[in-house]
Order: sequence, then C-alpha cells, then structure tokens
Amino acid sequence: MSDTKAIFTGDRCLSCTSCMANCPVMAAIKDYRGPKLVGPAHGRMHFSQEDVEESLNYCSNCKSCDRACPSGVAVSTLNMLQRAEYYKNHPHLRSEDMLAHGERMANLIRKIPFGATFSNLGMSIGKALGVFSALGIAGERNMPAYAATPFKDAFSSIKQTSSAKKVVLFTGCFINDNEPQVGNAFVKVMNANGYEVLIDRRFKCCGSPLVVTGFLDEAHQHADNNVARILDWKRQGIPVVTPCTSCSLMLKEEYHELFGDDKFHEAATNVYDAFEFLEMLQEHGEFNDNFKTLNQRLLYHVPCHLKSQAIGLPAQDILEEAGAKVNLADAGCCGISGNYGFRKDKYEISMKIGAKLFERVKQHDFDKVICDCGTCRMQIHHGTDIKPVHPIEILAQAY
Amino acid sequence: MKISDVIVVGGGLAGLMAAAVAASRKQSVTVLTYGSGSLPLASGTIDFGSLKNLPAHHPYKKIGVSNLNAAAKFLVDITAQANLPYVVGEKIPVVTAVGTLKYSALVPESMDASQLAGKKKIFVVELAGLKDFYAPMLADNLKKFFPDKTFETAKIDLHLLGGRDITCMDAAQLIADNEQPLANELKTLNATADDAIILPPIFGVMGNFSRSTVQTQIKAQIIETTCLPPSPPGIRLQRAFMKFLQSSGVKFFENTKVVRGVVEGRKVTGVVVENVVREKIFRAKKIILATGGFYSSGITMRDFDNPREPIFDLPVFFPTGAENWSNAQLFSDKPQGFATTGIFTNERLNPIDADGNVLFDNLHVVGNNLGGVDKIFERSAGGIAIASAYKGATL
Repeated sequence: MSDTKAIFTGDRCLSCTSCMANCPVMAAIKDYRGPKLVGPAHGRMHFSQEDVEESLNYCSNCKSCDRACPSGVAVSTLNMLQRAEYYKNHPHLRSEDMLAHGERMANLIRKIPFGATFSNLGMSIGKALGVFSALGIAGERNMPAYAATPFKDAFSSIKQTSSAKKVVLFTGCFINDNEPQVGNAFVKVMNANGYEVLIDRRFKCCGSPLVVTGFLDEAHQHADNNVARILDWKRQGIPVVTPCTSCSLMLKEEYHELFGDDKFHEAATNVYDAFEFLEMLQEHGEFNDNFKTLNQRLLYHVPCHLKSQAIGLPAQDILEEAGAKVNLADAGCCGISGNYGFRKDKYEISMKIGAKLFERVKQHDFDKVICDCGTCRMQIHHGTDIKPVHPIEILAQAY
Repeated sequence: MKISDVIVVGGGLAGLMAAAVAASRKQSVTVLTYGSGSLPLASGTIDFGSLKNLPAHHPYKKIGVSNLNAAAKFLVDITAQANLPYVVGEKIPVVTAVGTLKYSALVPESMDASQLAGKKKIFVVELAGLKDFYAPMLADNLKKFFPDKTFETAKIDLHLLGGRDITCMDAAQLIADNEQPLANELKTLNATADDAIILPPIFGVMGNFSRSTVQTQIKAQIIETTCLPPSPPGIRLQRAFMKFLQSSGVKFFENTKVVRGVVEGRKVTGVVVENVVREKIFRAKKIILATGGFYSSGITMRDFDNPREPIFDLPVFFPTGAENWSNAQLFSDKPQGFATTGIFTNERLNPIDADGNVLFDNLHVVGNNLGGVDKIFERSAGGIAIASAYKGATL
C-alpha cells in the first residue's frame, strides 16, 4: 500500500474537475483557485522550485476533494505538504501558532492552580476586550472551555472491573481537555461490553491541528511518538480505539500519506474508530445488545473525516438497534475543519459553508444532534445554539 | 450489521438511477461509491441512441424498450420533484457551447431548444470573466443552422471575478440566490416574446429555481447551452437524485472502494470494501454492479487482450485482434472496436460466460459495464444506463 503516500498520487490526476464540483470552500468564495489547480496541478511545480500559490491557505483540509476523486489522488494532503513547504520560508501568525498548539496550551494552564477556571474566565474577558481579534482569532467565537479536570487525571477514579479483554483509549485533545464526559461514556460502553479501558499518558496530540497550520516537522515528531506507542500496544495484542474521527483519520491514514514510512501502516492496523470497534464485536457475536430502549429521535451530522474512512455509519446502525430513530442531516461540511474556522480571516467562509447544516439543525425536529467530531459539535453549537453530543454518550445511556 | 435488500456499487447515472428505483419500491438500499461519479462532468441531457435494427447482442435487446420508457418516466418524475423539469422526445435539439446543435431524448427544460426555429431574433450572451464561452463564435456557428434568423451578441459583467478564472459552476453558484443583477442586465436587451436568449448554464446548481426567477422577468425564452465540466446541468441532475435518495433513507457511502464479492456458488451475499487499514463486508440480498466501463475503472486492462472486471472477475467480451481494436479515423462513421468491450448478460442482466451460462443469479450488471456496442458512437450510453438500471432494480 506504499502508493498511498500522497506525493505519488498527484500524477493520477486527469483534471476531470470532480474535486472542484465538490469543494465547499470554492462554493463559498471566489479567491480559492480550487483543489485541482492547487493540489495536483500546482503541486507538481511546487515541490521542485520555490513557487508559492497564495490561495493554498484557503484549503480547510476537509477532504471533500479526496472523496470526490475517482483516481485516488490525495488532493488535500498534497495541499498540506505544500503548506508546510510554504512555512519553511514564511513566519507563522500568532493565531496559527496558538491554534496549532491547543495541547501545549492546555498543559501550561493545568500547571497553574485553578488554571482552567481562570483561563475560561480569561477567555470570556479576553473575548469581551477584543483580544481574540487582535491575535487573529475570530472574535465571534467562544474558545472551547477547559474542563475542570482533564479526562486523563480523572480517569483513575473511574471504577472498572478488570478484564482480560482490554483496549487503549486514545482520547485526543478535545475529549481530554474539553469534553471528558465523552471519555466517561466510552469507558461505560466498553465496560458493558466486557472490556477494560486503559489510557496511555505518553500519547501526544495526533497532530491534525499542526498539519493544517503547516507545523509539519512537529507533527512528524508526534506521529513517530504515537506510532511507537501504538506498535507497543499492538505487540501486547491491545487495540487502540478513539471516539474522535479526526484523530482516527490521522492515525490510520494521514500519517502514512504525509510521511510515507511503512511503520505508519503497520500501526494503523491497530487503530479503530470507537463505533467501528463496536461493530466488529457485533460481527464476532461479542456485542452486548442488552439495551435499555432509547426512545430518542437523533439528527446525525456525519463528520467529513468519518466519511473519508470507508467504514460506513456503524454509530447509526448501533443506535437504531438500541431503539433510537436516527436521521442524517445530509447537509455537507459544517465549515469548521478543526481550527480553520477559528481564524479571523476564515470565520466568514466557515459560517457560509455551515449555513445549510445550521438551517437543517434549526428545524429542531429531534431530541438531540449527534456528531463524532468535537470541532463539528462546537460549530453546530455556535451556528444554532443547539448543543450536540457524541453518539457514544447516547449509547452509554442504553447500558 | 444489517443486511440491505440491495447494494448498488457505483454512483454515476446508472448507479443513482438503480438506487432511486429500488428505493421507490420500498427496498432498503446501500450505495457504495468511489469518486463522485460521472454526472458533474456530464451535460445533464440523456441520449437514447437508435432503437431500430438492433443486433442480437445489443444491451437494449436484453433490457427491452419498455424498460427504457419506464425509466424515462421515472426520471422525469423524480427530477420534477426536485423542481428540475425534464422534457422527453425523440429528437430534442440542444445548443452546445460552440454553437452546434446536438439532439437528445431527455433534456432539462432549460436546455430545450425546440422552439428556436420559430423565434425571430436570437440573442447570445456571454459573461465577463467566464471562460470557455464565446458569444460571437457561438452565434457564427449557430447561424449555419438558422440562416434566416437575426443574431445579436452581448457581453455582460456581473463582477464575478475573484482570484480565479470563473467556470460555469462558479457562475451558477454565485448567481443562485442572487439572480437580480443578471435579470437586470438581460432586461436591457429588450428581447421580446418572439425572441430567445442563449446563455451558458449558469442558473444555479439546484433545480430550475434561479432560471424561473429570471424567466418571470424576461419575455424572451432563456435557453441554456451545454458546457465544459464541472457542468451545472449534470450537477443539478446528481443533486435531484441525491435529494430523492436522502428522503428515501438510502445509505450512501463515499470513498468506499469495493474490491471483491462474497459469493456462495451462484449467489452473492455481500461485497468487501477495502479502506486504508482493513476490509469491511457490506451484505445484501441483491447486488447491482454499476461501476462503469474503461473510463471509470469498471473495466480495467493492464495487459493488451486481457480486459478485466476487477470486483467479481466476470468474463469480459472484447474484439480480438489488434486490427479490430480501434478505428484510426476518429470522426468517421464507424464505431471504435475497443469501446464494445464489456460484460454480456442474460435478460435478467445476470453476467454470463462465453457459453451463455449464468454466473450469479442475484448480481445484475447495468450501465457502461455492459458490452457489445460502442455507446459513444451510438449515443446510447445514457439510455442504456437508465433503462438497465431500472430493470436491474425492478427484477
């Protein structure tokens, strides 16, 4: 599978324009020259000489182009590689540095007594004073609030029955620092299925926010670190599972596309999306379907990075078996794309892309909105005032 | 994992049609696609080719003309639900972007040029910044078809240019929900009800909404041409299908490459999807294969004289001998041998081998996978796609 390394896929492009017809950023603004020209076409030139395509900075890495491509071109990853080239000779903005390093920031804040509380307070005051805007961060947005205790610190106090069957939870930054309740729900579901959940404090951020902001060398270090850990767990026969679909896409696919080494593929075979894993238990007849019936109507926004994984929609199938009625929002990309929509100069594009989804959610013909991706959930909350939850939080209610 | 009534492999015209027909018959349907399918690159018009004097091996012989008529009716019905009215006829003229006429059987109302012969004056309008559409060239060529008409060309500036060349799709996306500047410019032409205004296909990417908004303010009939991809009329047709599939609860999975079938004797019980890490089985009672021909990797050929169908390894028929493979006169009145390559079926569209033996009873082959004729030469690809899809989904 070594031909999945992005750099080798550009020459498969036939210039058919399928990617252009499906690019949400092109549909939102006239300035982006589009995936075909910026990715495979310009990419060929760019890697051989200093030749900057300015509109590259509009790509949000939502991967709609990759999914539209009939020829297997890793269009968005070609864009990310070129973005990294660009930043070799251009300084990063303060906002890019901040948004790329959420994990570092959270770790710093946690070192201060009551740091999370003050930081959350600081974010609202800072926002009121226009500090966000001055830093290049969209002033319209709330930054994600920090949880009082990060998941990994609270984890040891969760009571679990030990079991020979174990999984390692890769929390990702958002679940660890902002929404530990998703981690709690995951533990409850896995326990109900006879699995003991472990965590690994040596995991770092998957690197997705670093890749999209052009900190590729740093992302590579994260990848090397994480993959060494995943391979270590693999040797022990313990799978690594994550409820965050951008983390799982990075661990399973993007590491290899970006960095090429075979070890990334080897590690990827030990990584699972949470519902993908549950569905596999079901296939093997090991899934606990002794549910309390879920009498809920759910609207499911399927994140772009889940669509890219070719695993179907196991969350929909499982929740429906538990009695929930799941409708798909079917309204395209939400527009946030990780930290993209948090940038001041991308805010308007981000909201324009999300408009169709907001309109759908505002019909409010359901009990809850569900979505596997943390930043999509923030975007939906911001655009509609309706707070979505992770599907695993709903499933946890059935046990 | 749930077992679908039908899995459709492929999301081009045949795949979307098969999924829609099956869903309309209360079947649970899963569509697996790799790449966004042919429609964003297509004109949105559907040609049937000739239905007369068909050779015995012609796909239409297996499909039956009654299925073509039923398919056309179905398509007109679901596009109408998406406010994308289509007209059906034996020979409906359509104006191309270079000013020639092509004839088709199923045409979006916005592109129907049947009334052109009765018009007094024909306006051809281009947009500043829009590439690949030149009103004077179009008018010059179209005059050859209508020598007695008066032509007038105009160029209007809707300030569409940003940081890139503008395609018809870009223009269509910018004009959708902001039609008034275009309507105002067209009013200044002072065209009457006896005239026609020809424009590139820029009236939105959803249904006929934008054109209706402008047409109600303009007396002359507005006619859209075909264009280079990405093509708004093709995108509109794709979205009309998607709207129907979504409202029918069809499961539609992108980026989902099917690598082989799961088979028990002459029965297919599912298909195997390979993602970057592992494989996953999707199960169904019936499979519709709509992966296309050479152009869509539904048929591949690594070695000459050895074309393959990569999922089920079905027998593929092709003209033997290099001299029968191609016709060097590309624009002659003879078909291309290689283009007849494809799968042969029985009347239930089940794949058959050289001796006519059926290989799988619940696998139905539709669309451009079907072999025996050069569909491009015949202009029958669209008709074969919808008719075979209709039959495959109703069997």
